[in-house]
Amino acid sequence: MRAIRAALVLVTALSVGFARAEDLAAGISRDKIEITSSFTGTDVVVFGAIETDEGTALPATEVRDVVVVIRSDKPYFVTVRKKERVGPIWMNREERSFAGVPGFYFLSSTRPLREIAAADVLDQFELGLDRIALGPAPGSVGGPRAFREAILRTKIGQDVYAQHEGAVSFLSGSLFRTTVALPPNVPAGNLKVIVYSFSQGQVTSSSSMTLFIDKTGIERRLSDFARYEPTLYGIVAVLLSALAGFLASLAFRQRL
Amino acid sequence: MQIYLPIAEMPVNIFLMIGLGAAVGFLSGMFGVGGGFILTPFLMFWGIPPAVAVATQSTQIVASSVSGVITHWRKGNVDFKMGGVLLGGGLVGSVLGIQVFNALKAAGQADLFISLSYVIFLGSVGGLMFWESLQTVRHGGSNVGSIKREPGGHYWVHGWPLKMRFQRSKLYISAIPPALLGVLIGLLAVIMGVGGGFILVPAMIYLLRMPTSIVIGTSLFQIIFVAAFSTLLHAITNQSVDAILAALLIVGGVFGAQFGIRYGERLRSDWLRLCLAALVLMICLRLGFDLVWPPADPFNLSIEGIE
Repeated sequence: MRAIRAALVLVTALSVGFARAEDLAAGISRDKIEITSSFTGTDVVVFGAIETDEGTALPATEVRDVVVVIRSDKPYFVTVRKKERVGPIWMNREERSFAGVPGFYFLSSTRPLREIAAADVLDQFELGLDRIALGPAPGSVGGPRAFREAILRTKIGQDVYAQHEGAVSFLSGSLFRTTVALPPNVPAGNLKVIVYSFSQGQVTSSSSMTLFIDKTGIERRLSDFARYEPTLYGIVAVLLSALAGFLASLAFRQRL
Repeated sequence: MQIYLPIAEMPVNIFLMIGLGAAVGFLSGMFGVGGGFILTPFLMFWGIPPAVAVATQSTQIVASSVSGVITHWRKGNVDFKMGGVLLGGGLVGSVLGIQVFNALKAAGQADLFISLSYVIFLGSVGGLMFWESLQTVRHGGSNVGSIKREPGGHYWVHGWPLKMRFQRSKLYISAIPPALLGVLIGLLAVIMGVGGGFILVPAMIYLLRMPTSIVIGTSLFQIIFVAAFSTLLHAITNQSVDAILAALLIVGGVFGAQFGIRYGERLRSDWLRLCLAALVLMICLRLGFDLVWPPADPFNLSIEGIE
């Protein structure tokens, strides 16, 4: 235990993303993830320590809870359609549009959320998959619960939404850590990492960091090319495809 | 072995994608169809976002069609004149198609219309072709390589004006029917997002009465341009062509097409038509099944954009 703690303190000291609040110090093991052509997802460790205002470790008697949330910066507009039977055919009937849908949402906490705080507190900080603020898109009416749930179900199925209650562990009275598995399809862009510490059902402090997820090398060059020179990209794609077809027919010429 | 796709933003298995490209290329070389109607659903099944799947498969079709056309052309199996007339019509059709498609989208039922028109077209074309080729196979088949044509025989298309001589296809017919066929294919290509080979091939065989061997090369010739146009359009408007996914599919596709041609030549033309009919009917059944079978999840999501 002592060795782990010493190692953690060292990592904390060396860590790149380091934020400090009133009585909460938190860090991430990496603040930049580069997506290369061999990227198949990766793990990031979020860790930290809770201290009293005087800078000493918490007395073991005081119960503290920690909630770690990682969500993507840019929210999406999403339309949910519901298929219904019309005659023999299933077709889209009702539809609802939502705004503020994060592309990625990960939550990890020391205990089940309902034991940590009351519903209104959880709502306020959007803690928990069922509490992400998904509003109706401008010019659209709010949908029944089932439409909202369809978004969560789909995103959980794609591994971009996850909630692990009990996955934040305390290594000692004040040191905590949790491992975040970023899936291979994690959206490129900035992720916001927020650590909340709770005491008696209230947020006592929070700490926010940014995790940059960026394509690099050939992946970066290709996606920039596609985005900034779309016409040229399209022409090159067509020409290279045609060239590939031509070369293959040459290669097979002798053999036919 | 996995590789990360820059536009789809997800990793895929390299060998799986090359294999998929090869399988579709094989069908393309053998039957003269682009194969987009098979490739797109497969890509989506492996989690590729629909927009990327549709846009990227069109580059694979360009590659395997070029690969196929050059080989067919060396064998004298491409009627460029006929292809040109079809393309002219196709251009008009795609312009019309964009307007029809936008009207449907505004009505919110583009998906349903696409599925229904697929089922109707595939079902009727596939059914008719299956029945005809089965009859031919049963009666020992014709070795001429085309459906029976009385020497100097006249069909309904022969009475029309603007007659042209299509030497490769051994036809002297009005240019209007192939041009109209082109319009229809262009219309469908835009609305349904496919090259239209599976409709063009049977139409050339049965309506225009071209020899089956010439039909395949000519269809592929026409598909090159439709697919190239589609690639450009997607690259410019959606930026959804994934170069790495395209490269994997193309590597498989261009070789698959060559094997498809060799295999197709060994097959008698009535059997070839029977196989194509079976393929078309299978796709039709699958789509029809999706329309009437209760969906696993009645809700479906579409991402409209970033706020």
